[in-house]
Amino acid sequence: MSVLTDKNAGKTALLMGNEALVRGALEAGVRVAAGYPGTPSSDIIENLAKVADERNIYVEWSVNEKVSLEVAAAGSFAGLRSLCVMKQNGVNVASDFLLHLALSGTRAGMVLIPCDDPGSISSVNEGESRHFARLVEVPLLEPGNFQEAREMVRWAFELSEQFRTLVMVRSVTRLSHASGNVTLGELPESDTKAYFRFDGNLLDAQTGPVITAPVPMRHANQQKKLKQIAEVFETSKFNTYTGPEKPELLIITSSACSLYSVEAVSLLKLEDRVGILKLGTTWPLPEKLVKSHITKAGAVLFVEEVLPFLEENVKVLALDSIEETGIKKYYGKINGTIPSVNEMNPDHVIKALTSIIGVEYSGMPADYEQKANIAMFTKAPARELTFCPGCPHRASFWSIHNSLAMDNRDGFVCGDIGCYTMAILGAGFNSIKTAHAMGSGTGIASGFGKLGMFGMEQPVVSVCGDSTFFHAGMPPLVNAIHNGSDMLMIILDNRGTAMTGFQPHPGLEVDAMGNRADATDIAEVCRALGATVVTSDPFDIAGTQEKLMDTIENGKGARVMILRQICALSPEKKGKKQYEVTVDTSLCRGTDCGCDRLCTRVFRCPGLVWNKAGGHAQIDEIICAGCGVCTDICPAGAIKRSEVTK
Amino acid sequence: MQLAGSKELVSGVIKNDLCIGCGACVSLCPYFKSHNGKTVMLFQCSRDKGRCFAYCPRVEVDLDGISQYIYGRPYGTEAMGNYITIRSSRAGAAAGLKTFQTAGTVSSLMMFALGKGVIDSAVVTARDGVKGKPVVVTDASKIPGYAATGYSAAPVASGFNEAMNAGYKKIGIVGTPCQVNAVAQIRTNPMETENFTDPSGMVIGLFCTWALDTGAFLKILRDKTDIASIKRYDIPPPPAGVMKVQSGSGTVDIPLTEIRGAIPGSCSYCHDMTAEFADISVGVFEGREKLNILITRTRRGEELVQAAISAGFLEAETLGDKDISELAAASMNKKKRALARLALENKINSAEGISVLRMNGEILKQLETM
Ligand SMILES: Cc1cc2nc3c(=O)[nH]c(=O)nc-3n(C[C@H](O)[C@H](O)[C@H](O)COP(=O)(O)OP(=O)(O)OC[C@H]3O[C@@H](n4cnc5c(N)ncnc54)[C@H](O)[C@@H]3O)c2cc1C
Ligand code: SF4
Ligand code: SF4
Ligand code: SF4
Ligand code: SF4
Repeated sequence: MSVLTDKNAGKTALLMGNEALVRGALEAGVRVAAGYPGTPSSDIIENLAKVADERNIYVEWSVNEKVSLEVAAAGSFAGLRSLCVMKQNGVNVASDFLLHLALSGTRAGMVLIPCDDPGSISSVNEGESRHFARLVEVPLLEPGNFQEAREMVRWAFELSEQFRTLVMVRSVTRLSHASGNVTLGELPESDTKAYFRFDGNLLDAQTGPVITAPVPMRHANQQKKLKQIAEVFETSKFNTYTGPEKPELLIITSSACSLYSVEAVSLLKLEDRVGILKLGTTWPLPEKLVKSHITKAGAVLFVEEVLPFLEENVKVLALDSIEETGIKKYYGKINGTIPSVNEMNPDHVIKALTSIIGVEYSGMPADYEQKANIAMFTKAPARELTFCPGCPHRASFWSIHNSLAMDNRDGFVCGDIGCYTMAILGAGFNSIKTAHAMGSGTGIASGFGKLGMFGMEQPVVSVCGDSTFFHAGMPPLVNAIHNGSDMLMIILDNRGTAMTGFQPHPGLEVDAMGNRADATDIAEVCRALGATVVTSDPFDIAGTQEKLMDTIENGKGARVMILRQICALSPEKKGKKQYEVTVDTSLCRGTDCGCDRLCTRVFRCPGLVWNKAGGHAQIDEIICAGCGVCTDICPAGAIKRSEVTK
Repeated sequence: MQLAGSKELVSGVIKNDLCIGCGACVSLCPYFKSHNGKTVMLFQCSRDKGRCFAYCPRVEVDLDGISQYIYGRPYGTEAMGNYITIRSSRAGAAAGLKTFQTAGTVSSLMMFALGKGVIDSAVVTARDGVKGKPVVVTDASKIPGYAATGYSAAPVASGFNEAMNAGYKKIGIVGTPCQVNAVAQIRTNPMETENFTDPSGMVIGLFCTWALDTGAFLKILRDKTDIASIKRYDIPPPPAGVMKVQSGSGTVDIPLTEIRGAIPGSCSYCHDMTAEFADISVGVFEGREKLNILITRTRRGEELVQAAISAGFLEAETLGDKDISELAAASMNKKKRALARLALENKINSAEGISVLRMNGEILKQLETM
């Protein structure tokens, strides 16, 4: 049995932050959970899916974040506690509905967990979800440790139900993906029947229709709720203060940054000079609490990730109450004491403290960083950011690159988000020249494809993953078709949301809970939309290249090409080699004129290694996934493959 | 000859509008490809010396070295290069040709050479609309299918590389002077490969004053005719001043002044009108409908022509002095224009960097003042 459904309340267990968040939701009796995969949030929905049967929960991977929020809202409207999960930039996608949901209000407790990724460890942006709480006017909680993660989510449902508003609980990578001790609470038994009531008064969202009109009334109502919630926050146990009664310096912090602050203060032995106000309820601010601490402090330092959210809110508050709090010096991101981009860590806090307080501290020897860098480049084996051995994307981009190069009109690829984003780099032969949000490559390509009237002759190609196609790829394709844009959309269909761990999507015959589902055929969808569709197996290099050349040279209007091949790491494929591959060293041309190490210098599948002493390529049998593609690229026919007999 | 690699080839030739798309650098390795008459490099190669550079007829062409190899003497001042006999000719009845460009001399000779085993393979040019593509033929009866010429510059020399890759040892090839010069360089073994033997069996050169860039040519044709159904196109003798293009939608006349817009810049650096390093060179006998001019330059070339005449594959007569001097004048004209341009742009015998041509400075001076 999973610890997530352990009925022994009071027991302490080691949980990952995301598991603690899940446990909190289970303890709150969550019934409906929806989300879209995105690191570091994905394992929340995955863990819920695992216990869906046991805890009688409906769990889904939705087509995108906006739809996931809508699906979860339906649960709340029908009287079931519901949860929605996404990564930071997912909130941008969901934000339109979020704005309206804040206005209409919710019924049964509804919680949104956005997981931010400071330092963009697994992202192509450093987005901040906290501002959405202020922007759409809903309460925001930020757990500072694993225990709080569990307790806060549970409490968030109660708060949501009490005030009939969505509550945001924001996590960050270092909380979601680290582990700590959590004491478990009770798991409730509940069999609430879902029923959507709408017979009540038009103005009462609890019994009547759930709408946003009349807007001024609902807007005022939401603001009133926030004032009341702020009162509740004044006494929340999630806001804690440690330090002297009148600190020289007050650190105001939240989330994982509170741990860095505690560590820094303790390392510098400043416990009797510096106080730490850790806020768990960060919007709306518990104003009285914050003011009283500022009043007693000599100066204030904000430690937070990513944007100066607390800093700005507290400064506005301090200015409004300057007679009470007095004129204080404020340090943070705005005056540059704390870096304004990238992850926070204890070193940054130590640096800030030593510069403000004037104490000396050298945690690391001065030349540590330099030595570490030298060691990294000389001692550790070089590992480039690349596709896995046997990855279909390498084969796809090989053909895309070569076709565009042959065409010789400076064609280019507009990309978006997925493993294939790496095609910006050598891994994908530097093919991608624009990369932004999900589906944006195709939207940008749709625009480029209309610039022929201004003399643009460059072929325009976009790439989009299968999951991305459903998420945000269809509208730009429809746009390109309707507006007669000359572009080719290549759908890299590797049968799953590979980058985040093979979550299913609507193109597959399985749902989040592992049940059989109806699959939507991408090719049929594109055809029905009005695009010409060609399908190819990217492992068939010659065939794919021929089809690509034909459409790049002769195609007009919006066209779709589907390159379909299962991801090398997919559970279906993993560990199974299709081919046994070897290099006939007598045929290998190596660095001679006629090859110059095409396989290990350019193609660079990690399964191929250069034997410098022997002057030939060879296969690393352990790493090689047996896709057999390198056989087709070798100009000397030196790479031999034989089908593995099953 | 100064050897370099693909980097210098790309920067010095391809990016410099000197590439004629001859294909000599293609089919050697995975990097250079020819597409629609243009030569492109797919990925960078890190070698500092390579066959791509060594074979290219637009960079570091050592005229004396090649002449020494083929004729056993340095490059001279003759307008049409070294030769044995100049004749007028046409295909003989034994060849049974139905279509050809001028008078079928080239196709007859190729058929004959392949049939007699003088060559073990023949590199000729297949046409797809206006695009040309080399094919390696080993069956003599297939040769007539590739008769008649396209005016687009085609990667014919890559066909020679392909025939070498396939292991042929007596390769026959028909090409324009640039393509013939590429093949001549291949034959001199510039990379000094061990156990090298000259893989050519017979090189037939076509006279050429200019070719057309496939892409630019297509652009001109696009709104004048149905490109997909183009069957044939000819330039009738002066004073017509037009190109006649026959397609499924009928025949259109396109003014030569317009067609000239599609001549690649590279042709203006070409000093060779008569394919001076071929075994046999063939062209149009201007003003004499249905006759070729046929120049034999090497012993094996002359032997082939004589045998073809005996076998009824060729009909030929020695060309009169007046016609020879007219041809020489045209040939010298092209040579001097190109040499002047090369000299002006410091692309011949340049002391620094890479040069298009290298030759004896004295001979160059004499040519310039002739
Ligand atoms: C680009 C070009 C420009 C020319 N310019 C002149 C000129 O200015 N003056 C002149 O006298 N003659 C010129 N010629 C030669 C002329 O067109 C005839 O090819 C020549 O007279 C031989 O005629 P034929 O009847 O014997 O050829 P055919 O028996 O018809 O055989 C023609 C041969 O040419 C080959 N061929 C076809 N297209 C090409 C191509 N694009 N590149 C290389 N080989 C090709 C075919 O494979 C075939 O073997 C030119 C040829 C070309 C290709
Ligand atoms: S591509 Fe082939 S010939 Fe070239 S190094 Fe690799 S195995 Fe050897
Ligand atoms: S077969 Fe070749 S390309 Fe495929 S995984 Fe093995 S080494 Fe890589
Ligand atoms: S040096 Fe050799 S391997 Fe490199 S590009 Fe030139 S021909 Fe190809
Ligand atoms: S002229 Fe010929 S050999 Fe030179 S770069 Fe162009 S295609 Fe290659």
